[in-house]
Amino acid sequence: MIINVENLCKTYVTYKRGHTFWETVKSIFVRKKILVKALKNISFSIEKGELLGLLGPNGAGKSTTIKILTGILFPTAGKVESYGYVPWKQRKKYVAHIGAVFGQKSQLVWDIPPLDSFYMNKAIYDIKTADYKKRLNKMVTMLEAHEIIKKPTRQLSLGERMRCEFIMAMLHNPKIVFLDEPTIGLDVIAKEQIRIFIKEMNAEGVTFILTTHDMDDVEHLARRVIVINHGQIVFDGQMNALKNYLGTKKVVRLATHEKLPVLKKRGVENIRMLSEYEAELELDLAKIELNRFIKTINEKNTIRDISIHEPPIETVIKKLYE
Amino acid sequence: MKSQVKIYLTAFKNALATRMAYRIDLFVSAFIMLVFELIIPLVTYLIYSSGAGFPGWKFHEVFLIQAVFLLSKGITFPFFAGIVWNTITQIREGTYDLLLIKPRNILFMTLLTGIDIEDLGKLLGGIAVFIFAVSQVPDPGALNWVAFILLFVCSVIVFMSFAFIMAASGFKWVGNFRVYEIFEALTSFAMYPMSIFSKGVQILITACIPLALMGFFPASLILGKPLDWLLISLVSCVFFLVFSIFFWYRMLRSYTSAGG
Repeated sequence: MIINVENLCKTYVTYKRGHTFWETVKSIFVRKKILVKALKNISFSIEKGELLGLLGPNGAGKSTTIKILTGILFPTAGKVESYGYVPWKQRKKYVAHIGAVFGQKSQLVWDIPPLDSFYMNKAIYDIKTADYKKRLNKMVTMLEAHEIIKKPTRQLSLGERMRCEFIMAMLHNPKIVFLDEPTIGLDVIAKEQIRIFIKEMNAEGVTFILTTHDMDDVEHLARRVIVINHGQIVFDGQMNALKNYLGTKKVVRLATHEKLPVLKKRGVENIRMLSEYEAELELDLAKIELNRFIKTINEKNTIRDISIHEPPIETVIKKLYE
Repeated sequence: MKSQVKIYLTAFKNALATRMAYRIDLFVSAFIMLVFELIIPLVTYLIYSSGAGFPGWKFHEVFLIQAVFLLSKGITFPFFAGIVWNTITQIREGTYDLLLIKPRNILFMTLLTGIDIEDLGKLLGGIAVFIFAVSQVPDPGALNWVAFILLFVCSVIVFMSFAFIMAASGFKWVGNFRVYEIFEALTSFAMYPMSIFSKGVQILITACIPLALMGFFPASLILGKPLDWLLISLVSCVFFLVFSIFFWYRMLRSYTSAGG
């Protein structure tokens, strides 16, 4: 085990006030204190070399978990051991072994080239010059960043900047890397380049913990997924198990030669009408057999085209969030 | 220690490169800072030129107190004091997280963000005013110069301690930018002879918050003036530094980051 989390809890205080003028004035003197239970007894462990997806809706507790695992925040209760350290107690020693990429917080200095920021990390992490050059060359080649690391950060596109963020986070050869929405706002090509990089680094033994709302990222990268909602783990298992979570449900895309009637049958749910002749339906095979469904359609219509597939991962996640 | 110096120099180089991206703004800002620092000595000059003044103190003596204060400020501000604004901003935006994931002492990492190149204008102003002020008084002798350097280091320590306390307050009271105005008001006591204040204020600026070390005592040493309360001020300086560091770490525990 590289990370072990037991009964982790985090409660923090926030203040609430109304939006009216009187409530705003009142809040100068009296504020209503609210205790927020961000994490409620969560436990999990992560093996060395895993690529774990940490999912959940906004405010579910993902970022709080990541912040505790990176030593940024203290938990209210519970135990964490990561790479042999308690993150918030042995922060200085521990963080030398981890890296982090925050999609919405840049580690690069805005007005100077990323290369200058890399040198800053070289000094902070006390990286030997030979190791630094070797790792920099390797990552610059992998991410095709030879030219962009010499331009001022403010002149880089988001995709170019994110490539540099990855180099910055991995120059010191971290054993565990935390990725918080690393592909947010990126185009398809940039996303693909980042995903390939993550996969290659993971193949070299680096453990990745990825939080994202991008299900494509999860499907392409994560082998195991933990879903958090309201501060609790609602799913912890392999990606395939997550896909099969809805079990007997299938999505059917159906096109007919005649106009499709509104289907009101047990086990059939109309997801959306694509046209008068085409629809996307959800079938629950536990309630209606596929043969019987096709036969029912064929009684009044002629099927022009039909495709049957697993529900998209978004649907599964949505069900879990509910 | 060698490693820390290397990191600091790299951070200084980056801060300089960052500021050089907007050269005209840098030069204008540095010039404004320089001119702004000269306002108080100028006001003092106007007071003395109109025939008024501080009893027992000649203009060049008061000018020296202010010169020491400005030189000390000129060293603290470009090299460290930026931590006040930067820390408060980073706490508010949640980007302070990025410092906490670096394998170095967090106070040292924060100090690296405190390098403020345009404040070098304050240093230039401080040096110019100090050289001019010293040229107006008799040479105090080598031994007194050594003692002056020690007291001057204490002056810088008091400035730094203030910076730690102001920056740390941002962990608890997020977005507390006005704290600098309290600092300005308090340190204005440090630019005048101690004898013009009441006994209560004298106790306050020597025994409680050693403001007198920021200008008055080092200048008095060069001028050969009495150094009453110096020892208690030195003890207070040590306590003030220890308290500021303790306060920093205590407040750091209140850091909640920002939602993300």
